[in-house]
Amino acid sequence: MATQIPQTATSEHATAGLLPRIGRSLATVPALGWLVGVLCAVIIEYVIGDTLAVMLYLPKVPALFGTTLVLKQPLLFPSALLFVLLVYVLPIGAVARLSAGWTNRAAVALERVPIWLSVLVHLGLLYAVLHVWTEASDYRLQVAKLIMIAVMLTLSINVINGYMGEFSCSHPGFMALGAYASSVFTLLLFKQDRLFGAALLPESLGPYFFPIALVIGGAAAALGALVVAIPSFRTRGDYLAIISLAFMFIVKSAIENIEPIGGPRGMGGQPHWSTLPAVFAGMAICIWIINNFVRSTMGKALNAVRDNEIAADAMTVNTRRTKMVAFMFGAFWAGVAGGFYAHEVRHVTPGSFGIQMLAEILAMVYFGGLNSVVGSIVGAVSISMISEILKPLQLYKWIIIPLILILVMIFRPTGLVAFRDFDIKRILGARR
Amino acid sequence: MRKLSTVLVLVFSVMLVMVFISCGKKRETIIKIGINAPITGDIPKVGEGSKFAAQMWLEDIEKAGGLQVGDKKYPVALVIEDNESKAESAVKANTKMITEDGVMVIIGPQSSKQAVPAGGVANDYQTPMISPWSTNPDTTKDRPFVFRACFLDPFQGPVAAKFVKEEFGFTRAAVLYDVASDYPKGLAEFFKKAWEEINGPDSVVAYESFTTKDTDFSSQLTKIKDSGAEFLFTPQYYNEVALIVKQAHELGFNNPIIGSDSWGSAETVSLCGEDCYGLFFSTHYAAAGAQGATKEFIDRYQQKHGYVPDDVAALTWDAIRLAQQAIENTGGLTGDVKKDRIAVRDQLAKIKDFAGITGNMTFTEEGDPIKCAVIVRISDQGEYEFYKQVCP
Repeated sequence: MATQIPQTATSEHATAGLLPRIGRSLATVPALGWLVGVLCAVIIEYVIGDTLAVMLYLPKVPALFGTTLVLKQPLLFPSALLFVLLVYVLPIGAVARLSAGWTNRAAVALERVPIWLSVLVHLGLLYAVLHVWTEASDYRLQVAKLIMIAVMLTLSINVINGYMGEFSCSHPGFMALGAYASSVFTLLLFKQDRLFGAALLPESLGPYFFPIALVIGGAAAALGALVVAIPSFRTRGDYLAIISLAFMFIVKSAIENIEPIGGPRGMGGQPHWSTLPAVFAGMAICIWIINNFVRSTMGKALNAVRDNEIAADAMTVNTRRTKMVAFMFGAFWAGVAGGFYAHEVRHVTPGSFGIQMLAEILAMVYFGGLNSVVGSIVGAVSISMISEILKPLQLYKWIIIPLILILVMIFRPTGLVAFRDFDIKRILGARR
Repeated sequence: MRKLSTVLVLVFSVMLVMVFISCGKKRETIIKIGINAPITGDIPKVGEGSKFAAQMWLEDIEKAGGLQVGDKKYPVALVIEDNESKAESAVKANTKMITEDGVMVIIGPQSSKQAVPAGGVANDYQTPMISPWSTNPDTTKDRPFVFRACFLDPFQGPVAAKFVKEEFGFTRAAVLYDVASDYPKGLAEFFKKAWEEINGPDSVVAYESFTTKDTDFSSQLTKIKDSGAEFLFTPQYYNEVALIVKQAHELGFNNPIIGSDSWGSAETVSLCGEDCYGLFFSTHYAAAGAQGATKEFIDRYQQKHGYVPDDVAALTWDAIRLAQQAIENTGGLTGDVKKDRIAVRDQLAKIKDFAGITGNMTFTEEGDPIKCAVIVRISDQGEYEFYKQVCP
C-alpha cells in the first residue's frame, strides 16, 4: 500500500519542471514516513474536515475522497478536488518529505530489531490511520471492513488459482460453509435467536470466542475442500473447474434444504463482532501466513506442480499431498473470510453465495495479478473501490468495470502486479 | 527544497485562516427520503418500478412547494441508492444513506434477501425503514424501526385457501413450488397448513417441488394430474408461471390454477398468453377496474412510463406516502435528524386506517400492516380484473 502513494501525491500540484524534482525528493521517504504523512492527513480531516467542507460548499466531508459525490453532483468537482488536495495530497506530501530525516533514522533503527517488531510498528501506524479515517463516517468504516474481507478472500483464491495453477470455482461455496459454520457457533452459544432459541453462554463472553468461531468456519470450509480434492485427484484444468463449480452448487442447495439453519430464508441476527480491529487483525494475520506459505518449500512445490506436474513428481515432489494441502489451506481462509462476512452483514442466505459472487472474486484475483500476494491486495482493493465509487452510475457501472477488466487482460494478461513477492524487508527499510 | 517547504507552510496558514473566518455557517434543513432499490442485478424491473413511483411522488411534493410539517414548508430530496440486488450492497447503501446523506426515512429494499440485513442497519441507527415488498417475517421482527407495506405470507396462504374453498368448494389440492427460493417455499407451506385445517389432513394430495431455474415440470405435473387434484396452487414468479401453466395444459391438466402476488407482474400475461386467461391469484391490488386514487396512480404512471405499474410500484407509492403521513403527523421538525427520525417512527407506529392505493392499512406492534388482500382474475383480454376482496 505504501508504495502506491508517491504517484498520487505528486500528480496534482506540480508544474512540469517541478515534477521530477518533487519525485526525486519524495523517493527518499521510507514507508514509515508515508504512514506518518497519511496519519497527519487523516487527523487534519478529522479535526477541521467538517468546517472545510462547509467552506467549500460540500454537503459533508466526502466519504470516499469525493468521488461518489462528484458522480452525483458534477458541479461540486472543483470543491471536492480542492478538498482532497488540501486535506490529503498536500499534507501527506509535506509531512512525508519534512519528516523524511527522522523517519529514515527511525527506519534504520527498526532494521536492527527483529523483523516482526518492525512489522508490528508499521501495522500499528496503519491501523491508527484506518481508525481515524473510519471514525469520520460509519459508511467508510463498513466499506473498509468489506474491502479487508475481500482482500482475505482474494488471497485465499490466489493460492489455488494463482500459485497452484488450477482453476477453482468453489470459493463462494467455501465462504458459505465458513459463514454458516461460524454463525451457527455464535448464534447457538451467545445469542437469543429464532432458530436456536436462548443463548447457552452470556453474550459478553462472545467477542473472546469470536476467533474460535472463525477457526471453526475455516475448518468447515477446509473439510469441504477435502471433499472437492478427493475426486479431483485425477483431473486437471477444466475438469477441476467443473467439479469445483458443482461443489459450489451442492453447498448452495444443501443449505437451502436444511431447515434448522433457516433453509432458503437464511440465517440472521448474528452479533456484530466484525469490528475494525478484529477484521484488521484477521487480514494482517491472513496476509502474513499466506505470504509465508507461498514462500515456503510448500509454495515452491506448488509452483512446480503448476508448471509441470510430471516433472515435479519426478523431482520427488509429493504432488497429491501438495495439491490437497494447498486446496484446504486456500479454503480455510475463504471460510474465515466468510465468518467475518456473516458477522458484518449479519444475515446470510444461500442465494448470496452464487455465481455473481464467484465472478467478483475471480475478477479481483485476475485483475490484481496471479501468483502474487501484493497483486491480490491491489486487485481486491481496487475492484472493491471502483465498484463502490462508480455506483451512482448505476447501469453504466456494469459497462465500465468489465471494460477496465478487458483492457487489463489485453495489456497485462497476468494481471496488474503478477508474480511479485512481498519483500517486507525492502518495503519497510530506510531510503538512504 | 527549502522554497517548496515555505510554499507549503504558507498554503497551510492561509487554509487555517480561511477556516477560522468561515466558522459557524449553518446548513438548511432538507427532508431526505432514501430509496434502497435493485436498479441493477437480477430484478432491475423491480428497481425501476420503485424508482419511478418515488419520482412521481417527488413531483407532487415539488408542485406543492415542499412538505408541510407543522407551520413550515420543507424542501424534499430523494436519495436513490442501487443495492444491485445483493445483501452486502443493500447494507452498505443503508449505512451510506443514514450516516452520509442523513435521510429521515428509508423506503426499501424490496426483496427479503436485502431487506432483512438492511433492516438490521436501519434499526441499529434508529432510522425508520419501510420495506414495500419483503414478506420474510425476520424483516420486521424485534425491530421497532422497521415496517412494511405488504401483508405477510402467513396471511396470504390462508386467504388463497379460503377463497378456493368458498368459490369452488374443492377438497383436493395440489401445490407446486420452488424449494430453493424463500418466498414460494414459505407461501406453499402456509397454504398447505391452511388448506388442511379447512379440509382435514391429507387434503393436499400432491405437494411437489422443483429448484430455481428448472424449466421442465412435466414429471411433477404428471404426478399432480394423476393424484386427482381439483386445482393447483403455485406461488411462483412470472417467468415460471408461464412455463408451468403451459406445460400443465399440454399434459391435459385443465383444472383451475391459483397463484399468489408474485404473479402480479406485467410480464406474466405477455409470457403466458391465452393459457393464463381466466386464472385467479391473490395480490395487493388490481389494475383493471381500479377506482379513485388507485386509478389515478395507474393512469399517471402508464402515461409517463408506457406500461401498467405492477404491485411493487404501487406498494412503493404507498410506503412513501406512509412516510409522508408520519412526517406530517410529527407536527414540526426539530432540525436534528436523529430526533426527527425517532418522532417519525413513533408516528408511523400510530398510523391507523391509512388509505393506501393497495388498501387500508393499520400497523401491528411488529410493524406489519393489517390490510385486505385482493383476488384478481386474469380476464379474457389478459387484464388483471378485480374479482373479490378478502379481509383477515
